[in-house]
Amino acid sequence: MNLVLQTLVSTIVQGSLLALITIGMSLVYGTLRVLNMAQGVMVMVGAVAAYVTVDGLGVSPWLAILVAVLVTAVLGMLSYGVGISRLIGRAGVDFEMTAFISTFAIASIVQNLVQLIYGPRQKDFPVLLDGRITLTEGVSITLHQILTAVIAVGALALLGLFLSKSRYGLAIVAVAQNLDAARLMGIPARRAYVLTMGLAAGLAGLAGVLLAPVYFVSPTMGDLPLLQALIVAIFAGLGSTRGTIIAAYIIGFVQAAVSIFWTSTYALPVLYALIVVVLIVRPYGIAGKPQEARL
Amino acid sequence: MLSIDGVVAGYGGTTIVQGVSFEVPAGECAVLVGPNGHGKTTLLRAISGLIKVRDGRIEFDGDEITRERAEKIVERGLIHIPQGDLVFPDMTVAENLQLGAFTKSAAKRAKARIEEVYEIFPRLLERQAQRARTLSGGERRMLAIGRGLMGDAKLIMIDEPSLGLAPVIVDEVYRQLRRIVDSGMTVLLVEENFRRGQTLADRIHLVENGEIIRSGGADDVLDDRAVRETYLGVSE
Repeated sequence: MNLVLQTLVSTIVQGSLLALITIGMSLVYGTLRVLNMAQGVMVMVGAVAAYVTVDGLGVSPWLAILVAVLVTAVLGMLSYGVGISRLIGRAGVDFEMTAFISTFAIASIVQNLVQLIYGPRQKDFPVLLDGRITLTEGVSITLHQILTAVIAVGALALLGLFLSKSRYGLAIVAVAQNLDAARLMGIPARRAYVLTMGLAAGLAGLAGVLLAPVYFVSPTMGDLPLLQALIVAIFAGLGSTRGTIIAAYIIGFVQAAVSIFWTSTYALPVLYALIVVVLIVRPYGIAGKPQEARL
Repeated sequence: MLSIDGVVAGYGGTTIVQGVSFEVPAGECAVLVGPNGHGKTTLLRAISGLIKVRDGRIEFDGDEITRERAEKIVERGLIHIPQGDLVFPDMTVAENLQLGAFTKSAAKRAKARIEEVYEIFPRLLERQAQRARTLSGGERRMLAIGRGLMGDAKLIMIDEPSLGLAPVIVDEVYRQLRRIVDSGMTVLLVEENFRRGQTLADRIHLVENGEIIRSGGADDVLDDRAVRETYLGVSE
């Protein structure tokens, strides 16, 4: 019984974080049809930015959240300007593939720059809230875990509200659903792309701060989140936001269950096995639709 | 209102529109008639900025718009209602219409306009909470036209409003197009069916192989014997 409860707690925390990271990839894929390989690096940059603010400037970790989100959002928009926008609509260029490689290059450059400036060592980041609550005999949840879930779910809810109610949110959704129709409504597609890239990176940056006290802060801390996000994205079907959230919790559950009932060493291999099955049975994921190239 | 001068456009290595010139005076309805695959849709896409104009010049309301971005052209009041199923499939009918009034000036009048659209197409009012992908072909066409009417249009370009629809639905769509033309709106219509286009046209341009081969008033063009043979299947 305790193990079941523990699995549940872990699922909620892990799932919320995964959703936060993957939803950005999904949005970017939805509007730009680019598989954004820089999403993991944004997680890392968020954590490093928060670490530098707290350690270097002595500011409260809470304020560091804001700094991390801003820094990553700006970096996301910059990477669109540098690595993606110039590839759009170029004759003779396979946009999807070129932009995919371009985001990979951006990730590599950013990661190495951070390593150069900040060094490869792992650093500690303070938890935002200290303490834990005992649920039953032997099962407890840390306040940081609760905070992580609350902030992640809150951010996702705000995102949902933004996409369904605001002018520019609707513009992003419209571009994702039908690019030509969106442009004929007077929706500035390029502005929607920039905004999406900023939004996606900012969400990853937020996840980075929440992950920082759990993992250590280091230039490679975004590698595993990127892998996990790719698994969630494939499982969900690229471009589907609702599917992404469902998939994030399913993957979070599988990971938690394997770790708790078996051993954490097998968590990733089991997920990969699951992905192979998904790809064979339903190549476009649980909620995705088969899609065509368009840019 | 709209002046097209020697416009050339196409996709990739193919040139489809081969130097087309014509004008649409304010308050008139011009109809481009011609068989499928002869560049009518490509021409509209070039005018509205969806594809690049390779040569020539386009003027709208006194300003050159040849190389402007699509969103800027919409802001000027040149609204393109595309062919086929270019609705937002996973949004409701009401949300689709709302997006038709995306530009700032149109957004201010969206409330009143949506009532007008529902009055023109009562079917859309019934279906307002339904997702666009669940609509029938005819309803989707009405949605696309209604969404175009939500904008701040000075000129509306409508691409093949009757394509693929049952004749009864086409009659309905054309009744509403008649209302739009009669309201004094400047319209550029693309139509494959000569007879249908003729019912609305002040001026007809016959398009073949990416060129305009003949222009004139609806009746002048009809009097032409070659036209009667090619487009109406009447041989004398």
